[in-house]
Amino acid sequence: MLLSAIAVMSFAGPPLGAALGIDLNAVDLLDRLAGPSPPHPLGTDELGRDVSMRLLAGGRVSLTIGIAAASAAAALGTLVGLVAGYLGGWADRALMRATDAIIALPLLPLLIVLAALDLTKLGVPAAVAQSDDISLIRIAVLAVLVGWTTAARLVRSATLVTRNRDFVRAAQSLGAGVPHILWTHILPNVLAPLIVATTLSVGDVILLESVLSFLGLGIQPPLASWGTMLSNAQELITSAPLLALYPGAMIFLTVIACNLLGDALQQRFDRRAAVRA
Amino acid sequence: MRSLSGQRRRRRLPALAIALLLSSPAVGEERDSLTIGITQFPSTLNPNIDAMAAKSYVLGMALRPFTVYDADWQLVCLLCVTLPSIENGLAVPVDLADGKKGIDITYTIRPEANWGDGVPVTTQDVRFTYDVGRDPKSAVGNAELYRRITGIDVKDDKTFTLHVDKLTFDYAAINDFVLLPAHIERAAFADPAQYRVKTSYSTEPTNPGLYNGPYRISEVVAGSHVLLEPNPHWAGPPAHFRRITVRAIENTAALEANLLSGTIDMVAGELGLSLDEALAFEQRHGDGFRVIYQPGLVYEHIDLDLDRPALADRRVREALILGLDREAISKSLFAGRQKVADSFVNPLDAGYSADTPRYRYDPARAAVLLEAAGWQAQPGGIRRNAEGQILSFELMTTAGNRTRELVEQVLQSQWRKIGVDIRIKNEPARVLFGETVPHRRFDMAMYAWISAPEDVPRSILHSSEIPDQANGFAGQNAAGFKSPEMDRLIDALEIELDPMKRKTLWTEMQQLYAAELPSLPLFFRSDVFILPKWLSGVRPTGNQYPTTLWITDWAVQP
Amino acid sequence: MIRFTAIRLVEIAATVLIMSFLIYALIGLMPGDPIDLMRQADPRMSAADVARLKAVYGLDQPLLARYLAWLRQALAGDLGYSRLFAAPVWSALLPRLGNSLVLMGSSFILALALALGLGTAAARRPNSRLDAAINLFCFAGVSMPTFWLALVLILVFAAGLGWLPASGVATAGASGLGDRLSHLALPVATLTLASIGGYTRYVRAAMKEALAQDHVRTARAKGASEVRVILHHAMRSALIPVTTILALSFGGLVSGALVTETMFAYPGMGKLIFDAVMGNDYNLALAALLLATVTTMLANLAADLAYGWLDPRVSYR
Repeated sequence: MLLSAIAVMSFAGPPLGAALGIDLNAVDLLDRLAGPSPPHPLGTDELGRDVSMRLLAGGRVSLTIGIAAASAAAALGTLVGLVAGYLGGWADRALMRATDAIIALPLLPLLIVLAALDLTKLGVPAAVAQSDDISLIRIAVLAVLVGWTTAARLVRSATLVTRNRDFVRAAQSLGAGVPHILWTHILPNVLAPLIVATTLSVGDVILLESVLSFLGLGIQPPLASWGTMLSNAQELITSAPLLALYPGAMIFLTVIACNLLGDALQQRFDRRAAVRA
Repeated sequence: MRSLSGQRRRRRLPALAIALLLSSPAVGEERDSLTIGITQFPSTLNPNIDAMAAKSYVLGMALRPFTVYDADWQLVCLLCVTLPSIENGLAVPVDLADGKKGIDITYTIRPEANWGDGVPVTTQDVRFTYDVGRDPKSAVGNAELYRRITGIDVKDDKTFTLHVDKLTFDYAAINDFVLLPAHIERAAFADPAQYRVKTSYSTEPTNPGLYNGPYRISEVVAGSHVLLEPNPHWAGPPAHFRRITVRAIENTAALEANLLSGTIDMVAGELGLSLDEALAFEQRHGDGFRVIYQPGLVYEHIDLDLDRPALADRRVREALILGLDREAISKSLFAGRQKVADSFVNPLDAGYSADTPRYRYDPARAAVLLEAAGWQAQPGGIRRNAEGQILSFELMTTAGNRTRELVEQVLQSQWRKIGVDIRIKNEPARVLFGETVPHRRFDMAMYAWISAPEDVPRSILHSSEIPDQANGFAGQNAAGFKSPEMDRLIDALEIELDPMKRKTLWTEMQQLYAAELPSLPLFFRSDVFILPKWLSGVRPTGNQYPTTLWITDWAVQP
Repeated sequence: MIRFTAIRLVEIAATVLIMSFLIYALIGLMPGDPIDLMRQADPRMSAADVARLKAVYGLDQPLLARYLAWLRQALAGDLGYSRLFAAPVWSALLPRLGNSLVLMGSSFILALALALGLGTAAARRPNSRLDAAINLFCFAGVSMPTFWLALVLILVFAAGLGWLPASGVATAGASGLGDRLSHLALPVATLTLASIGGYTRYVRAAMKEALAQDHVRTARAKGASEVRVILHHAMRSALIPVTTILALSFGGLVSGALVTETMFAYPGMGKLIFDAVMGNDYNLALAALLLATVTTMLANLAADLAYGWLDPRVSYR
């Protein structure tokens, strides 16, 4: 399907660029904001750096954060959901209350507070707090902190349904341990909706990163990401609108590809479930 | 269902069209209103609490300070009649009890100065403002001014004498002594601890009696705009605009769009677009506007932490500055609008010396100096010394400032060519200035010093002003510059009344600064004013006193 | 049901209390404090000034003591004074709240109305070209960064065509309805386009299911007109997702839309919360955030109660 093709392109692009070894941080002051030309297929940005290379590198950053954070959030959510769904009772109620509480919070304001925290005040050693990659890690952590709830809810309802199935009861009567049951029997059956949700959330994380970068709380230069390229370009929008067009278009295409992929997966799973039922 | 929503949409369109007709601004001929766009909204409007550039911009139209530096960087009297000086006898040096010299300065308030409710401005207001300033509980920001004044003698309703405890050459400048209306604010000051909450500037900002300038504030919508209208009791030159709106739009792209769409008429230079944004704007849309670049007293530089072993070596510092092609940066990033600085003294300043050593781009010589300092060139690119350490520094500046981030990346790539590795680490302004710089936790910090004409650099270069535990990290000599010679020059300069002798001292000071390089000079930042073609009379000052102080000169060009 | 409501209300109160402490602590963990911000703006402030001001503003006390002082005041009904706005918290909050309600409310109603229309149309003809087109449109709306969308709208309609003003609530001094509407147009358009995608998908999914149900098919078989079928029978079931959307978005009414407000210089709650948090204005930030939290949780409670009424199959635990 067309959508998968887009997704693949987004994924494969960045490593390719890195392999080509062009220095994306080479500042060329004489060549600022130039139009497309052979060495620079998409022109140069405000510091004379090659736009296409930065786009690809930015893609690498944005996609890494997106996939990593979405997966981590899914993992955390799955854990919570499995425990809540399987054990039931007060564990279920407590976990669900916590989940609901987090869902009820106004998202963006809290993220802003969390993104602006001074890590050293939290006791994180200064070397870590000031390292180059900290902004990446910070955004990923934030995305996980607010993203696990969707997965948790999904997994919980799927677990509730699955735990009453025969093969699970059979395993229980055979004396299988709880973790074993969770891992071997229940998990495979909740995978379907989980994968769909995770795919969709990759897009959300990418959008989140772009908003945080817009607010100045996201990735720091000279690290490139689509979000920072976009917010850098918005100031020059009246004179070099294409600079904003490219990263914006990339974000748009990638997110929409994720969404379409997720939707397609969902339809595929639905049909399979329908057939089986 | 779809038809219903479609109908709703169709009904909205004509309503919108009517709305547009109603709201389109009055065209051309009788232009009597002005809308100014700035990037920040002033918090409290009380002139003495919580200093902010946006606030002084707005209050420049509504409150008169006693003295300011004008566009020619001369000290002038706004609220007073004559500028006191020793020559005209209004300023009298006195010998104080502890052997130091103080000065008694006499000012006369303009006889026609009135508050917006008709009450004249009198020495009652002077004494009241002084009391507020001296009270430790009143939340006044800069209390140093009031500390220096040990007493006030009131001669009559309009004349008073200040007893100042230190004789400095700029004795007549009491620019920060902005009067508060005693007849209105006295009630709020009944409990000094509550003054900042009860001040009428916050509870009742549209009270005309709070303002003595050509305009008064007639409407405040917090976070959005401030509306000003002429002060009926203003007795100075007439104000030309019947209504001035100052609108705060923080996002600069939106600010530009507003300018293009006519929602705002001009962008203030003091709080507007950054230089590279303005350059890009001018390229595209410069025909419809008048764009003025005013170089100012904002000295963009890089503080070097002189306690780091690599930076303590003077040769390394010189190599660093030789390895920067600042002219190229100025030309290509700033279209030559921000001049390269040789020291912290602006070329337009009275104290400027053209003989200050100038460092031109010379990477060859930089390499020689680095080798001599023990940093050997390596095949990999980054130099190493005998102990195996690499020549690498962390460069910090305010995050989110595009221009600075651009400059940083250029610096990084230029220094790499002479074998110096730079790691960029930016922090939000609040962190950088709140913690990192005062606690000296940086290798290199790029930021700006804002000064005034002939501003003696005590707080930034005197050895007693190095921020440390003892002074509560309040000094601004973050580089840690300790030079007895500089200390002597600073102490001598402050009390030197003879302008010729001062010039000599300034020259020596700049020579010393350029020789020692405690910080690397970069540029003097320019403010950019984007004005409509029909507006005349706006004269950018280049110093920290806003152009709005001369609002009565602004007029519609016929 | 009363018991259910009562328990939930208690839970809400407890959550709000915990949240208040968390937020206070988080703001405290932000670098610098209000006096450091002041010093940054006025470099001539001395160490003595800083110490003095910290005492005046009560910032020299430890975090817990300050929090407890705030709590005591708040429980007595006094939400304190906002340093940023130089006004009591309520008078700083209320006009912004009003603006946000207008902005978020109008875009919500508009988006919902359009979503109901589009979603139903898509549900009635599943897997058709119309359905695919609507689907794509939804995804497009959701996939675009809001600030980009806002900027494009401003450039096209305000700067380019000059039809609509680019910022603010109203032209200063003028307060006609027409003027206010023209200022609202672009921000509302931005928000509507951004949220319509999500709503439409919800409606479409629910409508699809509802239309396939037995009682709907029965009604059709009995010869009822299409409009009647939709309005009368399917809509009841479809109201459940609408209630979900309503509940989820209610919190948004109060917490505003930060990005849109920034781009359009629209003084709403989103920007207020951001400025308050960034400016270390504890009182204002707490009040605004807690207001948003309480509103969302109450909305959720109302939604849950509504479910019970709408769908007889649901009962309470």
